[in-house]
Amino acid sequence: MSITKFMETLDTDPRFRGNITFRHTIPATPGKYAPIPSFVPQDLKALLEGKGITRLYSHQAQALQAVHKGQDIVVVTPTASGKTLCYNLPVIQALLENEEARALYLFPTKALSQDQVAELMEWSTELGGRIKTYTYDGDTPGDARRAIRSAGSIVVTNPDMLHSGILPHHTKWMRLFENLRYVVIDELHTYRGVFGSHVANVLRRLHRICQFYGSRPQFICTSATIANPAEHGSALLGRPVTVIDDNGAPRGPREVVFYNPPVVNQPLGIRRSALLEARAVAHELIAAKVPTIIFTRSRLNTEVLVTYLRESFRKLGDTGEKIRGYRGGYLPTQRRQIERDLRDGKVLGVVSTNALELGIDIGSLEAVVLTGYPGTIASTWQQIGRAGRSNKASLAVFVANSSPLNQFMVQNPDYFLEKGAEFARINPDNLFILVSHLKCAAFELPFQVGERFGTLDPQEILEYLEEEMVLRRVEDRWYWMSEAYPAVEVSLRSASADNFVIIDTTDGKTTVIGEVDRFSAPMLIHEGAIYIHESQTYHIDLLDWEGQKAYARKVETDYFTDANLAVELKVLDVTEEQVKPYTTLSWGEVMVTAKTHMYKKIKFHTHENVGWGEISLPEMDLHTTAYWFTVPSAGEGGMDRDAIQSALIGAAHVLGNIASLELMCEPGDLGVAAQVKSPFTSAPTVFIYDKYPGGVGFSEQLFSDHRRLMERAYSLVSRCPCPAGCPSCVGPADEVGIKGKEYVLRLLKEVMGDGPQEQAAPSSAQGKA
Amino acid sequence: MDLKSRLRQVLPKERPRPELPRPSAPNLRPILGGIERETPWGTCHVVEKAFPLDYIWGGREIRETLSIPSTRGLTHVGLGDLPPLDLSRTLFLDTETTGLAGGTGTYAFLVGTGRFESRGFVVKQFLMRDYNEELALLHCLDGELKETEAIVSFNGKTFDIPLLRTRFAMSRMPFHGVDQHSQVDLLHLARRLWREKLESCSLISLEANILGLTRVHDIPGAEIPQRYFQFLQTGNGLLLQDILEHNVYDIVSMAVLLGVINALGMSTPEECSCPFEAEALGLIYANSGMMESALPFLDRAWSLAEEKEQQIRLLRTAALLHKRGKNYEIAAKLWQRLLAIAEDDLMAYEELAKHYEHRLKDFRAADQVTRRALAVALRKRSPKVPELEHRLQRITKRRGSAS
Repeated sequence: MSITKFMETLDTDPRFRGNITFRHTIPATPGKYAPIPSFVPQDLKALLEGKGITRLYSHQAQALQAVHKGQDIVVVTPTASGKTLCYNLPVIQALLENEEARALYLFPTKALSQDQVAELMEWSTELGGRIKTYTYDGDTPGDARRAIRSAGSIVVTNPDMLHSGILPHHTKWMRLFENLRYVVIDELHTYRGVFGSHVANVLRRLHRICQFYGSRPQFICTSATIANPAEHGSALLGRPVTVIDDNGAPRGPREVVFYNPPVVNQPLGIRRSALLEARAVAHELIAAKVPTIIFTRSRLNTEVLVTYLRESFRKLGDTGEKIRGYRGGYLPTQRRQIERDLRDGKVLGVVSTNALELGIDIGSLEAVVLTGYPGTIASTWQQIGRAGRSNKASLAVFVANSSPLNQFMVQNPDYFLEKGAEFARINPDNLFILVSHLKCAAFELPFQVGERFGTLDPQEILEYLEEEMVLRRVEDRWYWMSEAYPAVEVSLRSASADNFVIIDTTDGKTTVIGEVDRFSAPMLIHEGAIYIHESQTYHIDLLDWEGQKAYARKVETDYFTDANLAVELKVLDVTEEQVKPYTTLSWGEVMVTAKTHMYKKIKFHTHENVGWGEISLPEMDLHTTAYWFTVPSAGEGGMDRDAIQSALIGAAHVLGNIASLELMCEPGDLGVAAQVKSPFTSAPTVFIYDKYPGGVGFSEQLFSDHRRLMERAYSLVSRCPCPAGCPSCVGPADEVGIKGKEYVLRLLKEVMGDGPQEQAAPSSAQGKA
Repeated sequence: MDLKSRLRQVLPKERPRPELPRPSAPNLRPILGGIERETPWGTCHVVEKAFPLDYIWGGREIRETLSIPSTRGLTHVGLGDLPPLDLSRTLFLDTETTGLAGGTGTYAFLVGTGRFESRGFVVKQFLMRDYNEELALLHCLDGELKETEAIVSFNGKTFDIPLLRTRFAMSRMPFHGVDQHSQVDLLHLARRLWREKLESCSLISLEANILGLTRVHDIPGAEIPQRYFQFLQTGNGLLLQDILEHNVYDIVSMAVLLGVINALGMSTPEECSCPFEAEALGLIYANSGMMESALPFLDRAWSLAEEKEQQIRLLRTAALLHKRGKNYEIAAKLWQRLLAIAEDDLMAYEELAKHYEHRLKDFRAADQVTRRALAVALRKRSPKVPELEHRLQRITKRRGSAS
């Protein structure tokens, strides 16, 4: 009832009414059912019946059949469609049939594994304690570890722990590996990009170890919707997989609303902040007692929004306690408490980064507010799916921000509805990643000449490592020849293995309040930064770069800080090149040097700039791959130097966004740089690079999609209703100049091969929204 | 770019690469002595060294360890229900490894064993001259283990034995009998005995402070892996000399230390000449519930103790023991003595306050002691302050109702 009430407010309240660009009702779908297959033993059937399950959803039955036939499977169905049963049932059956059998469960996050263990414990109790399930992660105490190694029938862990704690000590896990019957991988879609490329290599190592102990486990995976589950699954597992994606679970009706904040500055094309609009929308929902989750795109925005929402409820005489933040960087105990309060209904509104996107059980939320486009269609559906788990009607509101990607989405709802989900891409053969894991693998077991690593022949790299004296070849084997423990030097989640901790020193105490990764440190915890945690503002007094510590102090400020990242790029090697009449496009290896020089102080609420400060921290080097194309130089019948400068800035702005849309990766996975006269090409050049050492394959993809990229960028810019550039297309006019939009369109046309033009016609390209 | 030059550019340098030729099968005999041993699994190098029983190491003849009538002393110092050691079936064991990280990529390239035989104390060292000799090395070691009932090591429970367990598992060979063998880890025993006396209980420190030995030209343990890798690359046996020697003397020291520890474990309070050892033995007995054995050692320690810090510790330990034995009067005297030398000892005040309040019902004395305790607690900003305030209130109330 409260959702209906809220929808009325949306339709009638002048604050909201004009901003709805799209409304769509996804009708309820009835369930499809199938009987429990006959091969499921009687005691398990009885157990299911005890839980009120007398029949299965059709996809569950299909999954069981496929596993029964010995296939490796990926189940691709939405949140709350009973995916866990697809793996728990075969695993438990195997364990009941053979006491020695073992299963390994991999979850991408600790929070997810805790939920799982709770569910398995329940099963185990009902089966008289015959199934021993243990979590093995960084928090597992030492003496418990020994018991798990020998007695755990189901070991629940994460890829990071498998990588650094289990595989390098496989002899201690002999019982597990000798008897490993099933490997369960939940949320397979999260293993994409750099993380996925690492995990694919961890699985290659797992295969080697299983082979050593003579087992060949079967894989049961689940995934949120992606475009290529079969391809992705087999790339990750290194073997073909059967996809089960015909969802048989019923679903309640779902209302999807696209919301575009109004333009507040017509000439500059600036829209009202998505954050402020999301606050207004979320406030109405929570005030109507609708349990709501608000997703934001960054930790900073999470904190800012918690602060705003609490303030607005306090104004109404409320304590604000029913609003909580939830994001990475909170300490585990704090997160568990918030999860419990959500389930118990003590918390009505939770503001989160994508940390809550995955299947953590947080009870039945009814509404989702997306502050800004989550970056991928799959993520968007995943976040939308967090509401309405229990067959009830639910609501999702997507509040767009001013970025080109957001504006593209909010103005092209068809694209969103029809395009379907993204491709999950990995590149397990990324040299940087591959070499790291070959070292780990050689540490675990010597390599035999002729042995393959996944589908790959590693001989040449092993020879390289031999020359570098990390490995030693004796007869037909390569042995590990180093004191180092290579797995600790490789972090699966980011380029650098180490985190910086933030220490609160208020009142002379020292408490660790959070952590950030090395790459983000210069942006978030430089000296003078305002670090926000649980909506409390802290001033960073001191950053100890070597010691990886930042010392913070509680302060009351009316501003937050935003650091600028300056990027330099140098071409090292061209892998492929294509010369066209008006452009040369290439991809290859580059060195990117990033440095933060200064930060801005931005006032809360008004978001005006109230000051700045300098940052002096070491540069960070990134050796990666990039795609780049040249633009005709000044004085060749094309634009003059100033025009080119403004065209390049604008083109970089729009292309960076369009490229992530085209690649369907996270915008944060890519970096963009523009050079008016590149020392390498001697011409104006736009670079788009992979933000991971060695690259994960995006550059090559962009190189072959060059034409479509230009066309899409052109279409976005030409269709944008702003007169002379805005944050939603080429960037605001005060950054690209008053003719920036015109110049960008000319540049794109020239590059597309239409050559230098007499006169671009921005007026004819405008107007359609 | 070809793959290798790309690799060189993408990846950080591992370390400089000297081009060193390596002879295929280095002949180590002229340098290290010993022989190449053939096994069904290939060859490895074995060096054997017999020390006569009158060999003097650490100011003692090696035979002293052998001549002790029983190993009851070891049981006393904390081995619990260790069966008596038969020294002829006891193997002293120490490994040299390619790293300290553990895990399946750490190799034990040298395993030294020591055993008392009729001809003396015999140390056998099994060396793999390259990775492909590991199987042979393990095979030889297995032969020794089969003749063994107990293993004596230094930190072996935590390091050497688990590492060897991994090596045997990697080679798919059974690790014979190790789970049935008694394990004597001298590091654990040394910590119990000398924690208070020595800053470090490393073998080097024990040699220096207990055996009065200083090694010359000893290779630091941290350099051993790199030295071995250099040997692998060059085949130069001279590089191994120091490592083998280091390993031999570790094992001889272990043999002597075993005797020293056992003797200490069998000594009477009067025989103790070191206050810290007497204290340690007193504590060991107290912790295994042997009160009547513990107290004489603590008394002995008290009579020898010169440092105030130790005196405080001894009074506290003794007072708590007497309290546990329900000798409240003696305990109270000891707390008072403690306060005489350490006037801000909160625990002593607290214990006395309890004694006066609950057992003697002397609320005036209790009040006095608690007030002094509170003053100390406030000065020290101790978390005990609220508790003491509460106690004081209660005492005041009881004082009122009693008078």
